[in-house]
Amino acid sequence: MNRPNVVSVGVIVWLSSELMFFAGLFAMYFTIRAVAPQMWETGPTLLNIPFSSVNTAILVVSSLWCQFGVFAAERFQPRRTGGLLDFKRWGMIEWFVLTYIFGAIFVAGQVLEYAELIHKGLSISTNGYGSVFYLTTGFHGLHVVGGLIAFLMVIGRAFAARRFGHAEATSAIVVSYYWHFVDVVWIGLFAVIYILK
Amino acid sequence: MKSEIWLFSGGLLFFLPIAFVYGLLTQWNEPVGFVCLLLTAGLAVLVGGYLAVTGARIDERPEDNPRADITEGAGEQGFFSPHSWWPLALSFGAALVFAGAAIGWWLSIIGVAFSIVFLIGWVFEYFVGEHAH
Repeated sequence: MNRPNVVSVGVIVWLSSELMFFAGLFAMYFTIRAVAPQMWETGPTLLNIPFSSVNTAILVVSSLWCQFGVFAAERFQPRRTGGLLDFKRWGMIEWFVLTYIFGAIFVAGQVLEYAELIHKGLSISTNGYGSVFYLTTGFHGLHVVGGLIAFLMVIGRAFAARRFGHAEATSAIVVSYYWHFVDVVWIGLFAVIYILK
Repeated sequence: MKSEIWLFSGGLLFFLPIAFVYGLLTQWNEPVGFVCLLLTAGLAVLVGGYLAVTGARIDERPEDNPRADITEGAGEQGFFSPHSWWPLALSFGAALVFAGAAIGWWLSIIGVAFSIVFLIGWVFEYFVGEHAH
């Protein structure tokens, strides 16, 4: 290979602009907190830290499964060569399905968390804290959902292609870039919203 | 790839020190500017770092050699669609989704249904039918 892959470079440039999108959300969070610090005396006490820590761990682990899927895609191996539980011989599809399941559990956990918070009386229109909490975590959640759709497309392409080649591997690799990015952003959001408070 | 790497990573050399200067000048009472300047440094290093890693992995390109000939740049540049209607159709679906936020959520649901069809059409355009490979 004697030149960078244009798709990969394009995705990285786009992800750097996504970083700025989330910078805007962080700016919003810190601005509201500076203007109305009294909301932070009651708001964060409603958060269920152990639950969201487990949910965070699920998302971080899904990034690991995604990377194993990329290694399989780089070997041009879409399907498993052994039994279903013989994970050492798994192909890209098996790893990406596992990633999809973990990502879907994360989104479901977040929906559960939202339901619990609304039950406790914190909704997006309650106060400034509710607004920034749901906007930051909600926009991140939408990104996770977008990533899940992207995984479905990549898996679909692996089934549609007669021969798993560079085009299929490239789409798997760039979706993994996106997934790792969304994962890192969540670690930042989790640190600011749940730990730093 | 040295010039491209520094073109992007150069932002790190500016935004990282400026973030700390900003923090010191505001006595660390104003986190928005500090965090956003740090993330802007991240914007620079994400692209620059990616090019640095990629540059170390690939051979020297003709662009890096001042004595290279035009013909050395020949070969496959990547895959480019000659033309496609799917992006236009998908943008129509996306427009419906966002118009729904202003008009009524029922419109968003219709937009999502259209978008799913058009997105699948775009993603699989060169994977099924006469162009399948």
